[in-house]
Amino acid sequence: MNPLRCIPYVIKQVTRHRVRSLLTVLGIAIAMFLFTAVQAMNHGVTVATTETANDTTLVVYREDRYCPATSLLPQDYQRRIEDVEGVVSVTPMKVVVSNCRTSLDVVTFRGVPKAEFIDGLGSDLALLDGSIEEWMSRTDAALLGETLANRRGLRPGQRFDAAGITAYVAGIVRSDDAQDQNVAYTALEFVQLAGRDQLGIVTQFNVRVADASMLDRVSKDIDEVFRTAQEPTATFSEKAFIGRVADDIIELVGFARWLGLGCLAAVLALVANSIVLGVQSRVSEHAVLQTLGFSGRLVAGLIVAEGVILSVIGGLVGGAAALAVARWGSFAMSVEGTSIPIVADGGLLVSGLLVCGLIGVLAGLVPAWQASRREIAACFRMA
Amino acid sequence: MTLIECRGLTREYRKGDNIIRPLDDLDLDVPRGDFLALMGPSGSGKTTLLNLIAGIDSPTRGSLVIDGTNLANLSRNKLAAWRSENVGYVFQLYNLVPVLTAYENVELPLLLHPLDRRQRHERVRTALERVGISDRSDHFPRQLSGGQEQRVAIARAIVTDPAILVADEPTGDLDKPSAHAVMSLLKELNEELGKTIIMVTHDPKTTDWATRTLHLDKGRLAETGASLTHEQEALA
Repeated sequence: MNPLRCIPYVIKQVTRHRVRSLLTVLGIAIAMFLFTAVQAMNHGVTVATTETANDTTLVVYREDRYCPATSLLPQDYQRRIEDVEGVVSVTPMKVVVSNCRTSLDVVTFRGVPKAEFIDGLGSDLALLDGSIEEWMSRTDAALLGETLANRRGLRPGQRFDAAGITAYVAGIVRSDDAQDQNVAYTALEFVQLAGRDQLGIVTQFNVRVADASMLDRVSKDIDEVFRTAQEPTATFSEKAFIGRVADDIIELVGFARWLGLGCLAAVLALVANSIVLGVQSRVSEHAVLQTLGFSGRLVAGLIVAEGVILSVIGGLVGGAAALAVARWGSFAMSVEGTSIPIVADGGLLVSGLLVCGLIGVLAGLVPAWQASRREIAACFRMA
Repeated sequence: MTLIECRGLTREYRKGDNIIRPLDDLDLDVPRGDFLALMGPSGSGKTTLLNLIAGIDSPTRGSLVIDGTNLANLSRNKLAAWRSENVGYVFQLYNLVPVLTAYENVELPLLLHPLDRRQRHERVRTALERVGISDRSDHFPRQLSGGQEQRVAIARAIVTDPAILVADEPTGDLDKPSAHAVMSLLKELNEELGKTIIMVTHDPKTTDWATRTLHLDKGRLAETGASLTHEQEALA
């Protein structure tokens, strides 16, 4: 016989025991919401800190400094960095943040030489709205990363204040780089003038090298150039730089993995509890099924299927809710001007559903096995 | 022609240190098309014998051959498949699945058979019409009277067209008119469809519907044994 023919029976068991199913699904949904949120943070850390073969950017920072406010490098380092073999382009950058501490809503201004930026680092940005020409022509103009714009609800033509700077939104851009998604690019001088005596001073240099394999060598060469300078440098690949700066966040997110595991344990307990109670209250019903000719194996399969359905529905509700909140909120955990995005996508939802399905199977296995091994006649005597 | 053949049929249970023997070395033949009533006091082994014949319990000793198949030789899965083909069970308390409608309850055993939706629908409709409850097909058990529930249970028992119907006090929970209607229905199934029916009952009046009645006491047939086996009948 085809066991799939019995799936409608299982669905009726779930949908017609409404209160039990709703409470179970609600519990699972809450736990899976938390699990998906934790996974989204983990995913964000991976996206922000894992180097790929396409990563060819170095960040030159002031040695032994972490906060953008304390990394003060002379802008004329640019020419000396450009002379290092393997360097393709150098973009001096003045970074100003609205909040140097860890927060979910930090506005980071990156002041850049506009023409160099558009030809170099900015060439990967896709303009979603607004005008590059307007950004080029206005001194107070800012190009906003999509995530920042969504989070603040900003559109081209609007003005906004952050970190003591009032800027005009000239355009919204999208980038594969999580950092670009969370910053406002403005003219370098505009940001420098916002601080005292900051003309000619930058926070960092973003350096493009010819090939990812050259990152280590070029970073050593750059630091060697400035080893005896008044402001020595520390150069890292961009992903390593983010990993170093956002170390505290990464540690917290790492700890949050335990929270994620706790959520899964909660789902397992909820589904198992629901299935065990359901099986206990349906001892004679399962005995009737077996009397009708359902094999013990088939009855066990129906019980497991019920666990899987409850678990997957709960996972779908909780996961989808987490996805919606993450997308709607456009959250990013920022520290010292770097951002770890909270990345929730369809892949995360699918993997969550697979985990839920597996948990449903695990939760149903023991009660299903017990139900399948019971003596039918004994079940009627018990009832 | 003998359909059910029991020889030395014994069933024992262990309860603590004691061994309980509800059925003790029983010999019995049931011919095809028989309507057999089993009577006896509580604990006399009636339901145990019924469960053994229905294939939902296994004998401790002895043999039970039904239509040439020795049930003791079947694995759990094969016994389940045998039940779905050969036996319909009518319970005293109906035992309908509460979250399923009358129609869905009757359809349940057909899910095990290679029938498409249309064929299943046809069979369910026929069974419900046969027991006179087709107008209640979309009602849930809680919306039916006891007599109606028992009719649905009988429809569920006959929908796969089994050769044997076993009924454990089918009128035990019903008022008189409902009990009469249910017995009348069982008699029809016996006479018109040729079903072999084995019924446990406490009510002497319902035995009038049966072709013969056997009394059990302490796991053994209590009467002279005149109607036990064909050989014994011949000797008598």
